[in-house]
Amino acid sequence: MARGRIQNNIRRLRFDRAEMTQQELAEKVGVTRQTVIAIEGDKYSPSLEVAFRIAHVFGVPLEQVFQYHASEGESAA
Amino acid sequence: MSYQEKSILGSLLAMVVVYSVYFAGTLRDIGRGDFGASSLGRLIFTVIAIIVIEIVYHIVLAIEGGVERKDERDILIECKAYRNAYLMLATGAGLVITYFIVAGLAGATRIPLTPFLAVNVMLLFMVIAELTKSLTQLFYYRRGL
Repeated sequence: MARGRIQNNIRRLRFDRAEMTQQELAEKVGVTRQTVIAIEGDKYSPSLEVAFRIAHVFGVPLEQVFQYHASEGESAA
Repeated sequence: MSYQEKSILGSLLAMVVVYSVYFAGTLRDIGRGDFGASSLGRLIFTVIAIIVIEIVYHIVLAIEGGVERKDERDILIECKAYRNAYLMLATGAGLVITYFIVAGLAGATRIPLTPFLAVNVMLLFMVIAELTKSLTQLFYYRRGL
């Protein structure tokens, strides 16, 4: 799993939702606050299920929360 | 520092302190040529001490900040830690078996190949494996996955 290739907008999305705290998001998603901090800091890529749950909490599509940046030489099918 | 990190760090320190005392006593016994009886009591005391320290420490942690349930990240980190611990334990077991076979075939050794020695060397590698597990977890919690 390459670090930093999956980026996210969780910080901005929390800000847009009346400064939702990391603890609030963690409780809604069902993970610990430490995990939310790690995801936000691009230090941990969550499972697909948690990723969908985060998108569901914010009411946006998955790709609006997470973006995958392909490295050079990686081609789209 | 998260609840999981505090829990792991506490267990790590308890193991280092308690097993250092145990193995220091065991080495003293080996130095004196005493390969048996006295260390059994020390081993039982060590196991009880670890259990008591862990229980008290986790009660204090729970009172201080509450218990945090493990989530997928904690479990993934634990899996990676168990892999490293297993490698360490398997290496240790391999070394002990090889030593006993080679030393047994070669005949005389300076230290008698007793069950006492075999048990303690295996215990040492179990402790090293456990320390490896805790250190791996702390590493991944700090650096990220």
